[in-house]
Amino acid sequence: MKEKLDGIKANALEMIDKAVNTSELNEVRVKYLGKSGEISLVMRDMANVPKEDRPAMGKLVNELRGAVEGALSQKTAALAQKEEEAKLKAEEIDITLCQSDRAIGTLHPLTLIRRELIDIFVSMGFSVDEGPEIESDLFNFQLLNIPKDHPSRDMQDTFYINENMLLRTQTSAMQARIMTTQQPPIRVVVPGKVYRSDDDASHSPIFNQFEGLAIDKHITMGDLQGCLQTFAQKIFSKDTKVRLRPSYFPFTEPSVEVDVTCSMCHGKGCRVCKGSGWVEILGAGIVNPAVLDMCGIDSKRFSGFAFGFGIDRIAMIKYGIPNIKLLYENDMRFLKQFN
Amino acid sequence: MLAPISWLRDYVNIDVAPELLAKKLVGIGFEVEEIIYQNKKASGVVVGKIVQVSPHPNADRLRVTKIDIGGKLLQVVTNVPVVGGEVIAVALDGAVLADGNVIRAGELRGVMSEGMLCGLEEVGLTVDDVKGQKQGDILRFDGSATLGQPALDALGYNDVILDVAVTANRPDCNSIYKLAKEIAVALDTTCKEPEINYVTAGEKVSDYVSVEVKNPELCPRYMAGAVRNVKIFESSQKIKSRLRAVGIRPINNIVDITNYVLTEIGQPMHSFDRRDLTGDRICVRNAEDGEIITTLDGKENRLDNSMLVICDSARPVAVAGIMGGLNSGIKEDTSEVIFESVKFARDSIRRTSRTLGLRSDSSARFEKGIDFASQEYALKRALTLVYESGSGDIVDGLIDVKVDFKKEREIPFTIKQIRDILGCAVPKDRLVSILARLGISISERGNKLVATVREDREDIVGVNDIAEEFIRVYGYRHVKPTLFKYASLTSGAIPDKLKVIDKIKDTLAACGLHEIVTYSFTSPEFADKLSLDENDGARDAIKLLNPIGEALSVMRTTLAHSMLETLVYNLTHFNKSAALFEVARVYLPKSLPLAELPYEEERVSIGAYGDGVDFFAVKAALQEVLKALHINANYARSERPYLHSGRSAEIIVDGKSVGYLGEIHPKTARIYGVDNTRLYIGEISIDAIFSSKNLQKSKFAPFSKFPTIERDLAVVVDDQITAGSMIDAINKAKIKYLSDVQIFDTYKSEQIGEGKKSVGISFSFSSLDGTLTDDEIALQMKKILSVLKRASGAKIR
Repeated sequence: MKEKLDGIKANALEMIDKAVNTSELNEVRVKYLGKSGEISLVMRDMANVPKEDRPAMGKLVNELRGAVEGALSQKTAALAQKEEEAKLKAEEIDITLCQSDRAIGTLHPLTLIRRELIDIFVSMGFSVDEGPEIESDLFNFQLLNIPKDHPSRDMQDTFYINENMLLRTQTSAMQARIMTTQQPPIRVVVPGKVYRSDDDASHSPIFNQFEGLAIDKHITMGDLQGCLQTFAQKIFSKDTKVRLRPSYFPFTEPSVEVDVTCSMCHGKGCRVCKGSGWVEILGAGIVNPAVLDMCGIDSKRFSGFAFGFGIDRIAMIKYGIPNIKLLYENDMRFLKQFN
Repeated sequence: MLAPISWLRDYVNIDVAPELLAKKLVGIGFEVEEIIYQNKKASGVVVGKIVQVSPHPNADRLRVTKIDIGGKLLQVVTNVPVVGGEVIAVALDGAVLADGNVIRAGELRGVMSEGMLCGLEEVGLTVDDVKGQKQGDILRFDGSATLGQPALDALGYNDVILDVAVTANRPDCNSIYKLAKEIAVALDTTCKEPEINYVTAGEKVSDYVSVEVKNPELCPRYMAGAVRNVKIFESSQKIKSRLRAVGIRPINNIVDITNYVLTEIGQPMHSFDRRDLTGDRICVRNAEDGEIITTLDGKENRLDNSMLVICDSARPVAVAGIMGGLNSGIKEDTSEVIFESVKFARDSIRRTSRTLGLRSDSSARFEKGIDFASQEYALKRALTLVYESGSGDIVDGLIDVKVDFKKEREIPFTIKQIRDILGCAVPKDRLVSILARLGISISERGNKLVATVREDREDIVGVNDIAEEFIRVYGYRHVKPTLFKYASLTSGAIPDKLKVIDKIKDTLAACGLHEIVTYSFTSPEFADKLSLDENDGARDAIKLLNPIGEALSVMRTTLAHSMLETLVYNLTHFNKSAALFEVARVYLPKSLPLAELPYEEERVSIGAYGDGVDFFAVKAALQEVLKALHINANYARSERPYLHSGRSAEIIVDGKSVGYLGEIHPKTARIYGVDNTRLYIGEISIDAIFSSKNLQKSKFAPFSKFPTIERDLAVVVDDQITAGSMIDAINKAKIKYLSDVQIFDTYKSEQIGEGKKSVGISFSFSSLDGTLTDDEIALQMKKILSVLKRASGAKIR
């Protein structure tokens, strides 16, 4: 009898071992453990075994059953795992493929730079204001110490609508608007579109300026320099240096041109700065007392500084955009590059 | 302003290289735009001596020469009849001539030629530039020229010219002399004045000409001098070459003297032939309306009463300060000359010059402003040049008709004031010495300093000007950066409108759109291209007086046209799809012609084409924007002529249209040159939807922990019933437990019947208090069905 049981065990384990899928395993289960399976038959035959042998025999049969069931469940788990692995393998994809289009859009480089500039100046206590693009001669010129028929009007080619209205040539027009309506302390920046009738390879008739104005008691050229140095170091890099050169604007006195060390070569000299190590980026100065007085601010009590620069130029320097016209062509292949 | 260094050296000792000089000038406020080296006009052309001439074996007209260029012999084939011993100019292999041509060694009819003989033209000169050469011949030198030396240097054509950008506040520096004065300050040296030294030859100027100024406001000073026994000849080589160096064509000794003084002193001058001044009289008056004068350039000018003319007793002889008349110029046989040296009002010259479209070197100077001191000096300098050159006999005396003017003005100030402007220490002795070098003397009066400024510095009127004069020489390196050291603390802020615009931009970018920036002005054709109705207010666009061209001549009243043009640009530039947006202003006049500033309305536009783009994609993006700004909108059919009538909508907020979206009408697409691509656009007025609620924080709403139960319903309604109206009706009924309604399907079939459609709607129910039972939901579904029956005539399928 024991031999018979050993034989069943050996056969069953061999079949289990050889099974390659769950249905073969099922066959094994039926053949040995099913109602008329070999082990079930042995259990049923127990009645024919002498009574005194029954406990020992029973133990043997139970061991046999346990061994076969154990092997079966072990193999079942192994096969299930294998089959899942095969399924995953079959579902494998080429992970270097992509969705053809990027789902997210982009902001224009001028918006990106403008936001950066606003951040910088708001953190220095400046508020942001905008103003009309169609402006009166009074604010764009006269209140800025540029009377009609004055030679300094030659500095800018103006688009006129009629004798008294024009497309603002400079965000400085907002200086006059702000000074005629507010009293110090004034600390404001004005980003916006400006217009000059200049249209050639390196000029666009529309571009964007960023104006700054600070009026208070005790404002000096040193404050202007400190403010612009902070700005330059934040927008370009921490090692950026600022240099003031005497210049002329009708609404500031003294007036300066401001150069910064070239952000490409850090002042060593390169193509961008034409080898000088410096890039001219803005005009600035102490607000001309005549302008303060014309705008209703007492020049004996208050002083201030003002500056203005081109947002387009900063964007071109920072993104390495070679031509201003690209900013206004709006080719998708250009727009998609910036984020 | 072109300033030859050799000319500057007449007055100031310049002992630094041109590059360093330029740097120093920049340091005191004069930008040098270019340093022009005359001898770089042509390169590789050197002095050589013909040592041998032999016939060409294959050509009768050619000669083979051997040329010594200083220790090296060249073989050059030439057709020029040269003889041994002549010293000439030869272009070497690799030489670049003035016209840009490069000379290469090569065989000429079988004989090697290693260069080319050169004349004035090859090195870019004319007889006015250098002395002793002939036009059309090769350059020839005397024995003193060094063999191998660059030919331009040997000709003495090796000046260095600075192109200086003179700012509008320093009109005085549009002259060699005043620039030399500034250079002297920059180099910390002294400056000589142009010499005045002449002897008169009797007679009285008042017998030659009388001057009357009828409008002293526009002509505050008129000076004149006379010269008799005038001889007209070519100017000296020095004067000719200097004039050419600053871009003025030499004409004859008298005209050249006026131009020379103009350049040197900055005072425009004019010379009349006395014979042409009827009645020996000069009268400065306003022109009569319609008065006509033909100027030296041959142009006939019709004048008006605002313009100033110089007249004799019969007729106008010059447009004041701008150009002389054709009738009174210097001629070959002119024997008596009247020199005029005048101060005209700056603005008047500028206006007249603009109105007539007439410009000259004189008007350019007058427009910038001429000081009172220059007229006398310039006139005397011109007479000195007449005397030196033997151009005639100078008549005794000068005519000087002038208004009273102050020769100098005083500006009181304190050191503290200067310090408060600059924010740096101001040493008094440095201040005084720097200002003295600039010709500003300082005296002390009580506890104040007083600056005495000469009349020729019209730009210096206040303390800030004194501060600038000091610091531009003292150096901005002395100013150290501070950050509002003594000023009050302020807090920065961004206005709500800008925050809303930022939110709109961020939302659209997140929806996959790319931001564009287009021009604010456009072609007046935009209205017709969009087929706008004749009465459409959008046709009232503001026109520019002086546009760059017709295509950029009106201020836009809609963003649609710019967006369409940008879509078409991308379509024709290899971009298979585009999804774009722009935030910009439109310019809406309150009336035309413009009497007051227009309303500048902020708008957002979007535009797209390509795979996967349809009406609903555009709508989804705009809905995201509205949702981000907490705005509820409805949609109504749009009747805009440029939109597809069946696929376009007005966006309605609080009962008013705030914009539109839709597919472009195929007819409009064709007008824009697009045939087979569907274009989509949308535009919303930001101003119309802008309110404080745009930036409100979203409010938290509790949601159920219990299961959400879903029910679907299919109903049949008339074709024209919109999904929006059905959802509105359900929402209005405030159905209990209903948390969401979605249309998931609409379709038509024969079974459903003509003019009808089936609409599938799914409903989600949930309760904060517990799991809903079938009975509770059935009750609500019954209510929904009756709402739909009543509002939309719906029947259950």
